[in-house]
Amino acid sequence: MFEIGIGKQGEITVAGRLDAAQAEKAQSFLDAIDGSAVMDCAGLEYVSSAGLGVLLRTQKRLMNGGGAIKLINVNPHIHNIFRYSGFDHIFELETAAG
Amino acid sequence: MEQAFQRTFDSLEEIFAFTQSFFDHESVGAEHRHDANFAIEELFTNMVKYNRSGRSEIRLSLARVDDKLLVSLTDPESEPFDITKVPPVDIQRPIEEREPGGLGIHLTRKVVDSIEYRHKDGCTTIKFSKNLR
Repeated sequence: MFEIGIGKQGEITVAGRLDAAQAEKAQSFLDAIDGSAVMDCAGLEYVSSAGLGVLLRTQKRLMNGGGAIKLINVNPHIHNIFRYSGFDHIFELETAAG
Repeated sequence: MEQAFQRTFDSLEEIFAFTQSFFDHESVGAEHRHDANFAIEELFTNMVKYNRSGRSEIRLSLARVDDKLLVSLTDPESEPFDITKVPPVDIQRPIEEREPGGLGIHLTRKVVDSIEYRHKDGCTTIKFSKNLR
């Protein structure tokens, strides 16, 4: 299961598993985002390399327009995957409290 | 515990249900589950990507021996591609020089403790282990 939408504060909300089967759904949604955005990852359990590709493609597009995507409430497992990828230098990240 | 899965990304949900059942039975902790699922997805989707037209199913086997998780994926319809020989990814490159793709094997090697590749008579078997301590 994977869900993506817009929260009450205008942030992007994601929940579930961003795997290869869900990458297209995520990309379609993120392709409609412009400028800068915050993605609340509190409900996100898992990101595979296919999901990382979606996020990188989105970040490159937004940065070309002077914007960026910031990820908040990132769980420790996903944070490790970002570190191993070098994506902790490409995205502004805030880990989940506790 | 072993099960065969259709050669499509849509099998991932079924695969994760299969691994969850095994991990629950074997009381595998959350961190190890995450890493094992990650490696399984990357290896499985690679097998799918490099032979989308294949008809044979991909077999996934899970076992626990003492404090070690042993995972095996077998693709009976595959070309040789030794994942242990893939060069490391330079993760320090700036975003302008990064492109989507090419991270799956790199990350798999980061999250498992050992990995083996074998190809014989068109059949690829990849085994990895994960220490559960």
